[in-house]
Amino acid sequence: MRIYEELFIIKPDATEEEIDQIIEQMQGVITTAGGAVDKMEKWGKRRLAYRVEKHREGYYVLIQFTSGPETVKELERRLRVTDAVIKFLTVRIDEALKRLEKKKKHREKRAHRKATAAPAPAQPSVAAQMLGQPEEAR
Amino acid sequence: MAESRGRPGSASQRPTGGDKAVLTGKKQYFRRKKVCRFCVEKIDDINYKDVKMLNAFVAERGKIVPRRISGVCGPCQRRLSDAIKKARNIALLPFAAVI
Repeated sequence: MRIYEELFIIKPDATEEEIDQIIEQMQGVITTAGGAVDKMEKWGKRRLAYRVEKHREGYYVLIQFTSGPETVKELERRLRVTDAVIKFLTVRIDEALKRLEKKKKHREKRAHRKATAAPAPAQPSVAAQMLGQPEEAR
Repeated sequence: MAESRGRPGSASQRPTGGDKAVLTGKKQYFRRKKVCRFCVEKIDDINYKDVKMLNAFVAERGKIVPRRISGVCGPCQRRLSDAIKKARNIALLPFAAVI
């Protein structure tokens, strides 16, 4: 199982019902194929950076889901077939998440080490003083 | 104690790491060393959805700013350019902006 993120744009002239219907349909595709929808976000209408199929605006929808690679193939096919969807992007994010987790852990470990190492340097200096004194006495 | 400190005052006279003297021809000037924003601010995730952040690394015309100008480190620039290209694909950023 892999974690994916699907971001797609629906035509701006679609009604709320149509949008909900498309989202429901896509979630259905994922769940029937044995995947699970983790998160669904509606970004709402946004200005596109360039014209897509003569539209200057689009309704952005983000779905995060866990599934196997075959599900993505089917989902992308469905998105391509749906006329109201003008653009979509699938990104696999499980490896990126793993990397982030690792980095976060590493950061915490270093912060912890720094916190514990802070009082430690006091001891060597005391030891140096102790070693230094006999030399001065000589 | 005095032995361990070494040459006293030598560190303060030396220019600090942030400033680097660049000698070009006759003129000598100081240029601030550029640092990677992602490493300094500890941003691990360079996400394609964060358009506001990506916009800072895109020139007026929509081109990716080279790292010799922005100062971003190698690994971060690679991730950044990937993110910008993804954002372009989904119309969050322009391929070529018209001025």
